[in-house]
Amino acid sequence: MRWIAACTAALALFAQGVAADTFRFTAIPDEDQSRLVERFSKVADYLEMRLDVEVEYVPVKSYGAAVTAFRNDQVQLAWFGGLSGVQARRLVPGSQALAQGAEDAEFESYVIAHRSTELEPADELPAAIEGKSFTFGAKTSTSGRLMPEHFLRQRFAAAPEEIFSRVGFSGDHSRTIALVEAGTYELGAVNYSVWEAAVEDGRVDTDKVEVIWSTPTYPDYQWTLRGDADERYGEGFTEAVRSALLDMDDPDLLASFPRSAFIPADNAMYAPIEDVAEDLGLLR
Amino acid sequence: MSDAVTPARPAWLAGRAPGPRLARHTLTLVALALLLLPLADLAVITRDPWTELARMARGLAWPAFGAVESPLSALGLTVAVALWGTLGGVVLGIPLALLFARSRLVRAGCAFVRAIHELFWALLFLQVFGLSALTALLALAIPYAGIFAKVYAEILEQAPSAPRDALPPGVGRLSRLVYTELPMAWAQLAAYTRYRFECGLRASVLLGFVGLPTLGFQLETAFREGRYPEAGALLWCFYLLIAALPWWSHRRLVPLLLAGGAFLLGPWPAVDGGLLWRFVSQDLWPAPLRAGDGAGLADWLAHIPDLAPAIGNTLLLGLLGTVGALLVALTLWPLASRHFGCGPSRLAGRGLLILLRSTPELMLAFVFLLLLGPSLLPAWLALSLHNGALIAFLAARHADALAPGMPGLSATGRYAYELLPRIYPGLLALLYYRAEVILRETAILGMLGVATLGYYIDENFQYLMFDVAFFLLLVTAGLNIAVDALSRRLRPRQVPLDDPCLR
Repeated sequence: MRWIAACTAALALFAQGVAADTFRFTAIPDEDQSRLVERFSKVADYLEMRLDVEVEYVPVKSYGAAVTAFRNDQVQLAWFGGLSGVQARRLVPGSQALAQGAEDAEFESYVIAHRSTELEPADELPAAIEGKSFTFGAKTSTSGRLMPEHFLRQRFAAAPEEIFSRVGFSGDHSRTIALVEAGTYELGAVNYSVWEAAVEDGRVDTDKVEVIWSTPTYPDYQWTLRGDADERYGEGFTEAVRSALLDMDDPDLLASFPRSAFIPADNAMYAPIEDVAEDLGLLR
Repeated sequence: MSDAVTPARPAWLAGRAPGPRLARHTLTLVALALLLLPLADLAVITRDPWTELARMARGLAWPAFGAVESPLSALGLTVAVALWGTLGGVVLGIPLALLFARSRLVRAGCAFVRAIHELFWALLFLQVFGLSALTALLALAIPYAGIFAKVYAEILEQAPSAPRDALPPGVGRLSRLVYTELPMAWAQLAAYTRYRFECGLRASVLLGFVGLPTLGFQLETAFREGRYPEAGALLWCFYLLIAALPWWSHRRLVPLLLAGGAFLLGPWPAVDGGLLWRFVSQDLWPAPLRAGDGAGLADWLAHIPDLAPAIGNTLLLGLLGTVGALLVALTLWPLASRHFGCGPSRLAGRGLLILLRSTPELMLAFVFLLLLGPSLLPAWLALSLHNGALIAFLAARHADALAPGMPGLSATGRYAYELLPRIYPGLLALLYYRAEVILRETAILGMLGVATLGYYIDENFQYLMFDVAFFLLLVTAGLNIAVDALSRRLRPRQVPLDDPCLR
């Protein structure tokens, strides 16, 4: 019995020791996830070279899992969406947004429509969308749910369930596109960069589905680091991470996100997202 | 008065023999489903699903095995998790089975852990143990312990009692188990454990959907993002794994598989007591309750999603799914039975059953969603086909063990007059057991926008509002326990159950 206890203690200590040395990061699953581990391992190699600690990439499957891993210190750095970043920073006081993609300062969502709706692209959401069926993406996606819902409420002064005949959550941007293309839902809200990548690759038939409106811009994805990083990895570690991210210029690495470059960011930039999420009851 | 009425009733309505009683059970169930059908939203909205469906079909027909990232380790981990998870369930389940008949507390506890879907167990453990093998194993072992406790207890109860009665008084419980009960019930226990292992493989794939690196991890991602050739390759891997199960899961290979599996499961996470304590003592409980704030608690309750329609939807989908599964099973089981058709047709039939029962419901549901539009219908079809195919597979196996005694009957005659009457009691018993599973599975079809309890549980896990999710899990468990008690009461008794898998 004593042996078992001693072994368990030794094992636990060993495991703790390993955990403290390795710096782990994750990225929320949002865009093309093929060969995810392979691609993000290259990012891990780059960070390892710049930070002089062992770096490991932890793949996750959902926004919620990314936030939980961050909260439980199973990862110390994460590439979050707007809302998941706000959730994470609320749960881990002291953590900070370090950098965002050059595209993220002015992100937008598209509302797409099946051609049978006969809706035309416009500067304002047409009143004719009332009574049609509509799908969001994942429930906690900033670009697939939060901001589109916010702008819909602003325009119609009503909840989506009251505006549309049916409201679905496809779970993912690519699925939103597939469902609207098939006419299963007449309308959908989608991340603009996922839409543009799909059009470029010819994965979507633009004769069947097209963009009818784009939302005003809002801040989205960002890198967030835990507040206790300096304490654990040495003085100046936070700054080292920030500059490593901002200096990342290898197109091969940037393509994983996919962003053209990273620019500085801070927590205050995401206050609008926080306000909207609170209004919609997604944060408390 | 009643004497005058009784003869006028047809025999199947009046008889007390097992046959008429089973017919009444079935017809009541079907009638109830038909009666409630108008409440279900079954609109069909089809525009042009064919492009997407053609892409899927192409993906399945021309799978891209090369595009899959390390398929062998994913396959290995899927098997390892299923094997060790089932083993954990057996180890925990045996002592519980011994207490099952004596303790109401144990019975209620087992019903409770059974009631929560493996995916939701995984989501709970994920908060504490992260994406680790420990999360996966606990998510399988805990509900399986509840299932094993119940089924093992029932098997042991039905073991011949002569050896037990021959023991001198004062023999301990353990000796009685080892020397008189286990030898008599061994074959049945082993057969059931084997069947549960196949269920474990399916559950192990599903665990990939929440992020554990089993086959489901890449499968869900590829399918979600429309990379169908890759998804097709992964599905084929899984179909072949299930089809080849009788060969690679041979008794003698199990120790080897266990050892290899243990190697694949690592590295083990360090269990952080602080995280566990925070989760159990804080996260799961509403903040006003912990603060003892009555008004705050009322406010908290006001923010809970509307429970009545959620419970209604859950029960409705559960009932429709159960009846649908019965109809599917009655139609499909002859396709795989040795009493019907020829060699190639049976091979195709067995293939179809493997396809239907091994494809995760979520994917079946998505195909029907494209085809039929957003309503309850895709969820209903997915549940019916998946569970119906599973029951059909077991029913065909049951029928294959029977020897036809009436020569010269046509195929329909054999079906209607000889085989179906003999396997029907078992089939119905299995259906009643499966109803519990179907109810649990309604939870994971929230993607279709069918607002079942599971839809809200999933939603609150995503919003990180664990207290609400936990509260809804308790409601779901209570509902499942009630349905289980009801189905136990309705289940035809004195049904000869000679195949332990038919429960």
